[in-house]
Amino acid sequence: MAMLHWVADPQWVIPNIIAPFIFTTVALTLFKDSTGPFGLYAVLGGGMMGMWGNTLYSSGYAIEFEKWQGTLEEVLVAPSKLLHVIAGRAVSNAVFGLTNMVAVLLVAAFAFRVSLGIADLFLFTVSLILTLLSVSALGLIFASAFVLSRSAQALTNGLETPLYIVSGSMFPIALLPFWVHPVAYVLGPTWGVDAIRLATSSDYASQTFWVGMNVNVAIILDLTVMLIITLAYAVIAAVLFKVVEKRARIKGTLVEA
Amino acid sequence: MNRLRIFLSSAVFSFRAQFSWLNPSMWLTMKFVLSLSQMAFFVFVGLFIKGPDAIPFIAVGNALQSLSWNTVFSVINITGHDKWDGTLQLVLATPASRLPLFIGRAMIHVLDGLLSVAISFFFAAFIFGVNFGQTNALALTVAVVLTSFTMSGFGLLIGGFSFHFRNPLVFANIFTFILLIFCGINFPVQDLPPQIQPASYIFPLTYGVTAARNAIAGATLIDISPILGQQLAVGLVSIMLGYFFFQAFERSARKSGKIEEL
Repeated sequence: MAMLHWVADPQWVIPNIIAPFIFTTVALTLFKDSTGPFGLYAVLGGGMMGMWGNTLYSSGYAIEFEKWQGTLEEVLVAPSKLLHVIAGRAVSNAVFGLTNMVAVLLVAAFAFRVSLGIADLFLFTVSLILTLLSVSALGLIFASAFVLSRSAQALTNGLETPLYIVSGSMFPIALLPFWVHPVAYVLGPTWGVDAIRLATSSDYASQTFWVGMNVNVAIILDLTVMLIITLAYAVIAAVLFKVVEKRARIKGTLVEA
Repeated sequence: MNRLRIFLSSAVFSFRAQFSWLNPSMWLTMKFVLSLSQMAFFVFVGLFIKGPDAIPFIAVGNALQSLSWNTVFSVINITGHDKWDGTLQLVLATPASRLPLFIGRAMIHVLDGLLSVAISFFFAAFIFGVNFGQTNALALTVAVVLTSFTMSGFGLLIGGFSFHFRNPLVFANIFTFILLIFCGINFPVQDLPPQIQPASYIFPLTYGVTAARNAIAGATLIDISPILGQQLAVGLVSIMLGYFFFQAFERSARKSGKIEEL
């Protein structure tokens, strides 16, 4: 349904991917005269930000859209769990966020002459898919929290850039103040983007969390940590959705909230 | 007198309308979080790529750009909210003079934009260590106020244009973010490809950022007045064009009867 919505009203794609696209273009312009793995950070970071942005945005609006269309009551009384309905959307929207990666790759290749080969296509693809699932799982937690707030749109806008910063999408987390690091480590995509960069280029091996290790082992470690965090997200989201749904049914405020 | 009343009520109502979807505490949170997070993102990218010398340029640029959330994004969205909330017919049916009604919509956002810049300068100074020691306060104040005013003119231009489309939110997003590329916020305009550099000068923010940076470096009001003059001219042209689009929309809407669908 989420895909059909994008097809029916494609203009909504623009608010979702414009920020990551512009942020990446700015980074590529800054990187223009520099040497080092900056292009790798800018292009892959831009793709990650696209997934982040789209998932966060769609999570914020998952329930709002149903309210606007007047279909929220039907969704709630259907035998399918609300969590499953929203989970399908979260994954679909994260996939759609990848359009930003394509746009960024095209701009990087044609406007900025950045050439990016992928060192290990298999591990790159696996890392990308698992990261996408991790972003989607985190999106589910946001979706349940946003149900309780009238300011979902504002929260969406307010959280977008802090997530780009904390997950180190465009620069190494080491640049951030020390007290931010623990927050970065509990974000699954922080590990996912490390794996994606490692699978893309060996130039990045000196900046990974697992410096000195064999690249393949480092990628597997990244993905293992991310999977554990993602499972934790899924459990938290399932509990939160149960609480939110029950509370909404008791109070009868979900549709008006 | 009647025009002044329309101007003021239009200003107050357009600002209050945004609280139909945003509660005041969230508005305040957004004001602090958005300003800080965008500045922090680009400061860290600049620090990573260019080193610590890039920080003041980027922090001041983003401080000025923070007002575009009020003067561009919010002002364009007034159009969208009129359509979504079903108030557009009432606006068009009223016999009120259109010019104060149109310009008034942006005016509280000018003040709101000034607050955003003040908060952002605080972050620039106390978190990112930008030195304001040489600042000419008068020149900086005039540069910031004029930037907020002229950027709201730009917001009215795009808002007037987007009356003709179904979803003004798309324009609000595009025109708030592209300022980051064109206006010399994170890198000098000269770093853009030569073919697209002229486009930078259709945005009042480009002049405002340059003037503010000069004022922070100690330039006087007289020193920066040529830049401010150009900025004012661009801002006034934006308002006039926006008003033209608004009137064209009104004529077309009345003729076709398609007000919200357009």
